[in-house]
Amino acid sequence: MTKKKSIFDTILSIFLGILSLAWIYPVFMILFNSLKSEQHISTSSIFELPTVESFVGLDNYLNAINAKGFMTAFWYSLVITVSSLVLILICCSMCAWYITRVKSKLSNACYYLFVFSMVVPFQMLMFTLSATADRIGLSNPYNICIIYLGFGAGLAVFMFCGFMKSVPLEIEEAAMIDGCNPLQIFFLIVLPILKPTLISVGILETMWLWNDYLLPYLVLDRTKGYTTIPIFIQYFKGSYGKVEMGPMMASIMLTVLPIIIVYIFCQKYIIKGVVAGAVKG
Amino acid sequence: MANITFKHVVKAYDSRDKKGEKIVVVPDLNLEIYDKEFVVLVGPSGCGKSTTLRMIAGLEDVSGGELYIGDRLVNDVEPKDRDIAMVFQSYALYPHMTVYKNMAFGLELRKTPKEEIEKRVLEAARILELEPYLKRKPKELSGGQRQRVALGRAMVRNPAVFLLDEPLSNLDAKLRTEMRSQIAALHKRLQTTFVYVTHDQTEAMTMGDRIVVMKDGNIHQVDTPQNLYNQPCNMFVASFIGSPQMNFIDAKVEKDGDAYALCFEGCRVPSNKAELADYVGKEVVVGIRPEDLHAEGSFNSSCGFPIHVEMAEMMGSEIYVYFNVNGNPDGKKKIARIPSRENIHSDDDVRLLIDVNRVHVFDKETQAAICH
Repeated sequence: MTKKKSIFDTILSIFLGILSLAWIYPVFMILFNSLKSEQHISTSSIFELPTVESFVGLDNYLNAINAKGFMTAFWYSLVITVSSLVLILICCSMCAWYITRVKSKLSNACYYLFVFSMVVPFQMLMFTLSATADRIGLSNPYNICIIYLGFGAGLAVFMFCGFMKSVPLEIEEAAMIDGCNPLQIFFLIVLPILKPTLISVGILETMWLWNDYLLPYLVLDRTKGYTTIPIFIQYFKGSYGKVEMGPMMASIMLTVLPIIIVYIFCQKYIIKGVVAGAVKG
Repeated sequence: MANITFKHVVKAYDSRDKKGEKIVVVPDLNLEIYDKEFVVLVGPSGCGKSTTLRMIAGLEDVSGGELYIGDRLVNDVEPKDRDIAMVFQSYALYPHMTVYKNMAFGLELRKTPKEEIEKRVLEAARILELEPYLKRKPKELSGGQRQRVALGRAMVRNPAVFLLDEPLSNLDAKLRTEMRSQIAALHKRLQTTFVYVTHDQTEAMTMGDRIVVMKDGNIHQVDTPQNLYNQPCNMFVASFIGSPQMNFIDAKVEKDGDAYALCFEGCRVPSNKAELADYVGKEVVVGIRPEDLHAEGSFNSSCGFPIHVEMAEMMGSEIYVYFNVNGNPDGKKKIARIPSRENIHSDDDVRLLIDVNRVHVFDKETQAAICH
């Protein structure tokens, strides 16, 4: 029995190992190619490692950064990600607090609406949304966070509610007796207790916000120069099929890097936050 | 002055029962808790004791009537403004704060000077032997230590009223006994009004100056532990207080010259209580505590009856002897507490003697006590 199990475990490990390599290979492929010269990327195989002739150091990275509009796009991506994230975390944790603590038909209906919003595909409402956003002045990087709040709320409220159910009400009652008003209870007691879920929701939402292409592409007014990094990368693809492969690979790496760093440092919280509601609730 | 007064207090919820009527947890509560008194609210689950405590704390709204703390009507006063502190069953410590911060939090919110906070927290920590743990988080403490932190958090505020909601029920038996005496000592030291909720009658009997016995939101008796035990006002209180619980046996009252006799199980228990005059020829319920039944030979009494021992439980210093009787109003097996030297075993046939001075008599219909 034990021997059978260990053979099965070995096979499973090998299979998952190969799967992980297949998963991570594109990232390495972009990294290798971002270090090659333009000519070598298009003439040699893209699977080839950089050689003495093809290696150009950080040239492609410098070209990408110096490309016109890259830093602006980076700034707008940062503004959109940070503002949307803060809005999602604060509003959704408060909303989940209300839904969990106030037992009424309205709060139940709200909860199911949030859950339902997760299954509605973006493509279903993207054209009406972009027209509406344009009309009510949400088509710039500083206001688009309102739209992101709507799309991000489903997952965030669902995860916060799961964790909130496991937080004993007595802690809030104790705070009430200690002298807290509702806002103090939320910010001094509830929010610090929610830390693991805040981090996991934060990472999941950051990955989505930073990498999102379609929503900003449809909503942002590009005539005013509003672009994000994922949109800007497309600009390396010039007219008549000309593609600046070197800077494109480098900019992809620069885009992916912050998210990978955040993920590596906070991944343990993702597991904690996702599991917390399920096992304690 | 921190006496607590309930005047016709009602607690009802908006939700409705199967008949479509509002759920009323406490129908009409009248109670006076005196300043510096240790009062224990006791009763079975769902009797309204925790709701009553939460109404004092302000965590539950009062649906009707008046609730006073001192001379102040507090029906609509916020919990933080009632000058109370509460210890919860689940400790309710703030998990992200250290022990020191947990205890200081309430004072910080009240803008107490830093030096004063430090003085009070260190003093409470010294009394509760928490000094080595002040920098730890609650998850790094044992159950008993957490409970002491919860007590300390309440103590540092110097509240007029201390509310404790089953604070010992999450602790093991040994720690519970230890904490019981610590809380009693704390009451003596602080000289504050304590209201303590429990379903454990041992806790109630050992700690309370007075005990409030509740059932279905109604108060059945408010009295000292001794009076509750010796003079219960009805069959519910008699059965709830005392472990093992009181035996109830159907009996008939007969006239016996100038006095009366309670006849059951073939024995006649003489009584000269005038209260029995109205019950001559009628059925009543006799209540006898298990320790007031004795094995023949170890006790002198003219009244007794033969039993067949269904089961004998050896408890060390005594034996719990279980038996059946004919008139059995509560349908339960009867119990006698016999010293273990008597050597009684299951399936033995023995004769039990009754301490006739310790027999309680109850009305069979109203279940109210007739005489003790």
